[in-house]
Amino acid sequence: MGAALAVLAGFGLLAAVALMIERVAVLVDPTRIPSCTLNPILSCSSVMTSPQASAFGFPNPVVGIVGFTVVLTTGVAVLAGARFTRWYWAGLQAGVTFAIVFVHWLAFQSLYRIGALCPYCLVVWAVTIPLFVLVTVHNLRQVPGLPPPARRAVDVAHEYRTAIVVGWYLLIATLAAQRFWDYWITLLP
Amino acid sequence: MSRSLRLSLILVGLAVLALVVAVVVTRPQSSPSSDSGAGEQGELVRPDSPRLTEGSEVQLVEFLDFECESCGAIYPYTEDLKARYGDRFEFVVRYMPLHVSSVNAALAAEAAGAQGSYEEMYDVLFERQAQWGHQQTAQREVFFDYAEELGLDMTRFEADFDDPAALARIERDRADGQAVGVTGTPTFFLDGEQLPIDSVDDLESALIEALDG
Repeated sequence: MGAALAVLAGFGLLAAVALMIERVAVLVDPTRIPSCTLNPILSCSSVMTSPQASAFGFPNPVVGIVGFTVVLTTGVAVLAGARFTRWYWAGLQAGVTFAIVFVHWLAFQSLYRIGALCPYCLVVWAVTIPLFVLVTVHNLRQVPGLPPPARRAVDVAHEYRTAIVVGWYLLIATLAAQRFWDYWITLLP
Repeated sequence: MSRSLRLSLILVGLAVLALVVAVVVTRPQSSPSSDSGAGEQGELVRPDSPRLTEGSEVQLVEFLDFECESCGAIYPYTEDLKARYGDRFEFVVRYMPLHVSSVNAALAAEAAGAQGSYEEMYDVLFERQAQWGHQQTAQREVFFDYAEELGLDMTRFEADFDDPAALARIERDRADGQAVGVTGTPTFFLDGEQLPIDSVDDLESALIEALDG
């Protein structure tokens, strides 16, 4: 649990920092093509400069840099043998729940409003989904006095958590494939 | 192997299978002729490339970028050539998008073209290049304002603008351009031969020579 949290949050943090650096670099030199702009679809230029990229009035990666740091630290602390009170886990649950909603809003905007995918953002989506599943299943298992059917459902979710994450990935990958199909198909030799 | 892992692998397998089927079904048919010859080398002109004039004696192809200043600078001269010789030469537009808003500008022209107003949008884009060009952000809203000004059906314009097929056409132009040796904009081809242009007069003299020479 601790290792998974730390590794996932670590990748998320790297992506958020990279995105922030690219953004500053573009502000310094507006003619610069960011390293993450590969073609018209895989492009952080169009995504970074959209209004959605500053959903709260400041650049989104700021949220990621702070949030992923907290999760990374929590994971390392768990690895080091720390034990947290229930309200700490509840706080983490609030955080990953906010993250999963935010990421899906961004995914919708990216696919259907902006019409481009930014590679670093994809990394953030890809780590947020397992973080949410992991933390949520972990917390549900700690809830005392669950009725037996709910308890069994939680156990099944826990056993199949990898499959849940994989299914979730495939769902989003399918939407991205479908949305830009006419473009992807032109890339084939 | 755990049951969760097995289920994951089954899901991935199904997805790969679905992907392969989708590719096979929707893959554009490569005609036998394109296999035998020009296919991989890129085409100078495609059947659906926009034509600004329809004359039949000479064919002039311009690889342009609506945001490039040189393209904007040569625009009044190509307009002049269109006015004087438009009934005699065919003027074909290809895109070579190299700036932040180039692709969106080309999409705006294509979307206007779908409603029969290609040339109107083409004119507006060049005439107001100073307003929208060289901004930090891709100028989507500005192009929508232009479309509204031209009295286009905005629902349809938005759908055409966001159509991935339009983006694919522009990207295909870029690939064709690279394949035929375009490295900057504007680049002109007269009857299939790339024109070396040092001044705007070169374009006119080359065209007149091809027409009358």
